[in-house]
Amino acid sequence: MNINLSVSKADSVRAFYLFFIVHTIQIGSGLMGVPRVLFLEAGHDAWISILLGGLYLHFIAWIMLRILGHYENADIIGIQHDVFGNILGKIVSSVFTIYIFLILLTVIKNYIEVVQVFIFPEIPTWLMALFLLSLMVYGVLGGLRVVIGTSFIFFFLTIWLVFTIYKPITYMDVGHFLPVFQSSPMEILEGMRMMTYTVLGMEVLFFVYPFIENKKKAALPVHLALVLTTFLVLLVTVVSIGYFSAHQLKETVWATLALFKIIHFSMIERFDFIAVSLWMMVVLPNIVMFCWMLQQSLKRLFRIPEKKSMYGIVVLIFLGSILIEYRLDINRLTDVTSRLGFYLVFVYPVFLYLVLVTRNWWRKRRST
Amino acid sequence: MNTHIPTEKDMYIEELKRRFNQSPDLICKEIQIRHQTIVIHFVNYQVRKDLVERDLLYPLTGRNRTWSLEELKNKIPLASSKGTDSMEKITKELIHGSVSVYLEGEQEVVLFALPNQEHRALNRAETESLVFGPQIAFTESLMTNLNVVRWRLDTDDLVVEKVIVGERIKSEARLIYLKSLANDTNVQTMRQRMEDLEVDEVEDTSVLAQLIEDSSSTVFPQLITTELPDRFCNSISKGRVGVLLDKSPTSLIGPMSLFNFFESTEDLYMRWNMGTFIRILRLFAMVLSIILTPLYVAALTYHYEIIPSSLLISLGQSRATVPFPPVIEALLLEMLIEFLREAGARLPTKVGQTMGIVGGIVLGQAAVKAGFTSNILIIIIALSALASFTAPSYSMGSAIRIIRFPVIILAGAWGLIGIVFAMCFLVLHLLKLQSLGRPYLAPVYPLEWKDFNDTIFRTTPQRNDRRPNYIMTKDHFRFNEKKAKRHKDVDPS
Repeated sequence: MNINLSVSKADSVRAFYLFFIVHTIQIGSGLMGVPRVLFLEAGHDAWISILLGGLYLHFIAWIMLRILGHYENADIIGIQHDVFGNILGKIVSSVFTIYIFLILLTVIKNYIEVVQVFIFPEIPTWLMALFLLSLMVYGVLGGLRVVIGTSFIFFFLTIWLVFTIYKPITYMDVGHFLPVFQSSPMEILEGMRMMTYTVLGMEVLFFVYPFIENKKKAALPVHLALVLTTFLVLLVTVVSIGYFSAHQLKETVWATLALFKIIHFSMIERFDFIAVSLWMMVVLPNIVMFCWMLQQSLKRLFRIPEKKSMYGIVVLIFLGSILIEYRLDINRLTDVTSRLGFYLVFVYPVFLYLVLVTRNWWRKRRST
Repeated sequence: MNTHIPTEKDMYIEELKRRFNQSPDLICKEIQIRHQTIVIHFVNYQVRKDLVERDLLYPLTGRNRTWSLEELKNKIPLASSKGTDSMEKITKELIHGSVSVYLEGEQEVVLFALPNQEHRALNRAETESLVFGPQIAFTESLMTNLNVVRWRLDTDDLVVEKVIVGERIKSEARLIYLKSLANDTNVQTMRQRMEDLEVDEVEDTSVLAQLIEDSSSTVFPQLITTELPDRFCNSISKGRVGVLLDKSPTSLIGPMSLFNFFESTEDLYMRWNMGTFIRILRLFAMVLSIILTPLYVAALTYHYEIIPSSLLISLGQSRATVPFPPVIEALLLEMLIEFLREAGARLPTKVGQTMGIVGGIVLGQAAVKAGFTSNILIIIIALSALASFTAPSYSMGSAIRIIRFPVIILAGAWGLIGIVFAMCFLVLHLLKLQSLGRPYLAPVYPLEWKDFNDTIFRTTPQRNDRRPNYIMTKDHFRFNEKKAKRHKDVDPS
C-alpha cells in the first residue's frame, strides 16, 4: 500500500473549504440533544465544560495536523500502515472504518427518529432511510468535488437557523446559571467528555488532508471551524439552560429543537416543523462525507472499487436502520459509537503522535 | 472519388442530368460561337438570374471569337471563378448556386458563384425582447449573422473557425472566440464535441446544444442559446466561446453557469443598482416559483399548525367546499396554467390574447365560484407562474416550471420532508452539473468572491474590471480600474 496518495491538481481543493468540511461534519444530529446531555452531567455549569472541551478540540486538531505534517501527502490509513506495519495497521484502520460506519448509521437513525417524533409519527423508517440514502448515493457518486460542495452549500442553506435563536434569548433567566461553580471538577470533566461526543467528525481531517491544495494554510480554517462549532454548542446549551427550568430540561430530549417552538413569524406559526425538516440539510453533508470516508478507506484498505463499496454500505445501512427499532437500542448504539469515537478521535491521536515522535527520535539517534 | 469530365458535349449534358435525378430545375443552355459550343448550367432558383444574364451571358456572347479556358477565368467580370475537373464538384457547386460553363472538348469546367439566397432581413428580437438596448436579432442566414458579429466585434483578435456538422445533410457552423482571451481548453472542448458529432443532420442550434451538452439527462440547459447579437458578442468579449450555425436564428454560447441564465444584457444597460436589484429579483423569483405551491400543499395537507390561526380561518373557509386534497387541487391549477401557456404559444398572436383573458380570468373565477379551488391557491399559482416567466432564458424558465411538478407531488406525499428532500436533491444535482467541463454553480461553488460581481450583482461600470474567473480566460482584467475611475474634468479655475 502506498503511504502517500497521489492527487492530481484538478482533484484537490483549496484549504479554506476545510472550514466548511470540518464544521458541517461536526454539527449533525448531536446538536439537537446536546443541552440535556450536558445538563445531566455538569448541571448549570455545563458552559464551563463546553469551553474546556472547545480548548481540547483545538489541541486535538493541532495534534492531527502535526501527525499529517510528518508526511508528504498521507491519510490516516497510510500513516497507520507506516507506523504499525501491515497487519496491525490494517486492524487499526479497520476499527476506524467500523467506527465511521457506526457513526453514519447513528446519524441517520437519530434524524429519522426526530422526524418521527416531531413531524410524522407514522412515516415508515425504511422510507426515511431510503430518502437519506438516495441523497447520499447521489451526492457521493459525484466524487469529492460534489462531496465538499455539499458541505459548502448546505452550510449556507442552514446557518441562518442560528439567528432564529434570538427569540428564546429574550426569555432567558440569568438566575438559572447562579450560583456558578456548583458542579464538582469530576462532573465538569464528564460534561467535557459528553461535549466531545456531539462534535465527533473531526477525524475527517485525517481523510481529506491529502486532497488539500495549499496545506500550509490548512490550520486556520480548521481552528476557525472548531471555534464556530464550540460557539454553536455553547449557544444552544446556554440558551436552553436559561430558557428551560432545570426540571424541564431534564425531560426534554431534543432541547435545541424545542427552542424553535416559540419562534414564529407573521406567516409561520410553528417554526419547529420547518426547522426539523430543514435539519435534513444539516444532516446531509454529514452522511455524504462519512460515506465518502468509508469508501475511501475501503478502497485504500482492501482495494474495493468505490461504487461496489458504496452499494454495500447502502444495503448495510438500510438493513441496520430497519432492524434497530426501539429508542433504547438507538441510545445504546449511539453510546457505543460515541464511546468508540471518543477514544479513536480524542485519545488515540495523542498516542499516535507520541509513537511517531518517539520513532523519529529513535531513528535519528540510530543514524547519528 | 473523382469522375472526369467527358469531352463529348452530349455525354456531359447526360451525365449532369443523371446526377441531378432528371430535375426539371437544372437549366441547360447551349451557345454557339463560330464552331465552338459552350454549355451553361445552373439551377433555376439557386442563382440570381439577372446577374447571370448581365455579367455572364452578355460578355460571353458579345464577342466574335472563340473562348479559351484562361480567358473564361480572367475576362469575365465576376469575382469568383474557379476551374474544376471533377463532376462531383460541379454538382455540389451547382446546388450551392453556381453557374458552370463548359467548353466542348475541354477537360475542365469553369464555375461562377452567383448564389441567390432567400432569407428574411434583420428584424427586432421577438423571443428575447428588451426594453432598451440594441434591438436587432440574428436571422437564419449565417453570412448575415457573421456580418453582424464582425460589425459588433471590431477587432482582428476575433477568430472565426469553420466546422461542418451533420453527416448526410451538412450544415456549416462557425466557432467564434477571441484569440487573446478564450481559454484553449474551452475552445478545444467545444470544437471537439462538434467535430465528433455523428448524426445525419443538425436541425438547429438548440439541437446542437442538446447534442454537445455535458449532461443530456437533466432539465437544466448548460449552454445558452440566444437570438441577440449583443448578448452573443458580450459573452465572446468576456472570453466565452460562441457558435453560429447556418439555417438557425439563434447562437450558442458556453461555458455558462447557472446564474448566467438569470442575467439579461439589459441589466448592463441599466444603472448598476437597478441592474443588481432586478437580477436578485429574478433569482428570488426562481426560488419562489419552485417552492411556493409545494409549501401550500404541504402546509394544508399535513402541517396546518404552521399557518397562523387568523390566516388559517380564511384559508379553511375558502377551501371548505373544495372536494379534492390540496395536491390534486394544485396539480389541476398548475395544469391549467400550463395549458394556457402552451395554447397561447401555439395560437396566432391576436387570438392568443383572447385566450389569456378567457383562460386566466374566466376559468379561474369560475373554478373558485364552483368550489373547485380556493382563492388563495389561485393567487399562489399565478404568482409562481409569473415568477417562472421572469427568467430571461426561455429554456431556463421551462426547466423551472417542470421541476415544480415533482416537488408538488413530493409535498403532497410527505409534506415538508418531501420538499426538503426535493431541494436537497436539486442542490446536489446542480452541484454535479458542468458546462463544457466547468462547474455549473460557479462562482458560488467553487467559491470565487470576485466573480460575484457581474454574475449575481453588478457594481458600477468603472469597477467592473474583471472577466469571470471560472471560465479561465487568458486575461482576467478588462481594464485598469484606477484609470477608469479618474474623471478628467476641465479645471474650474
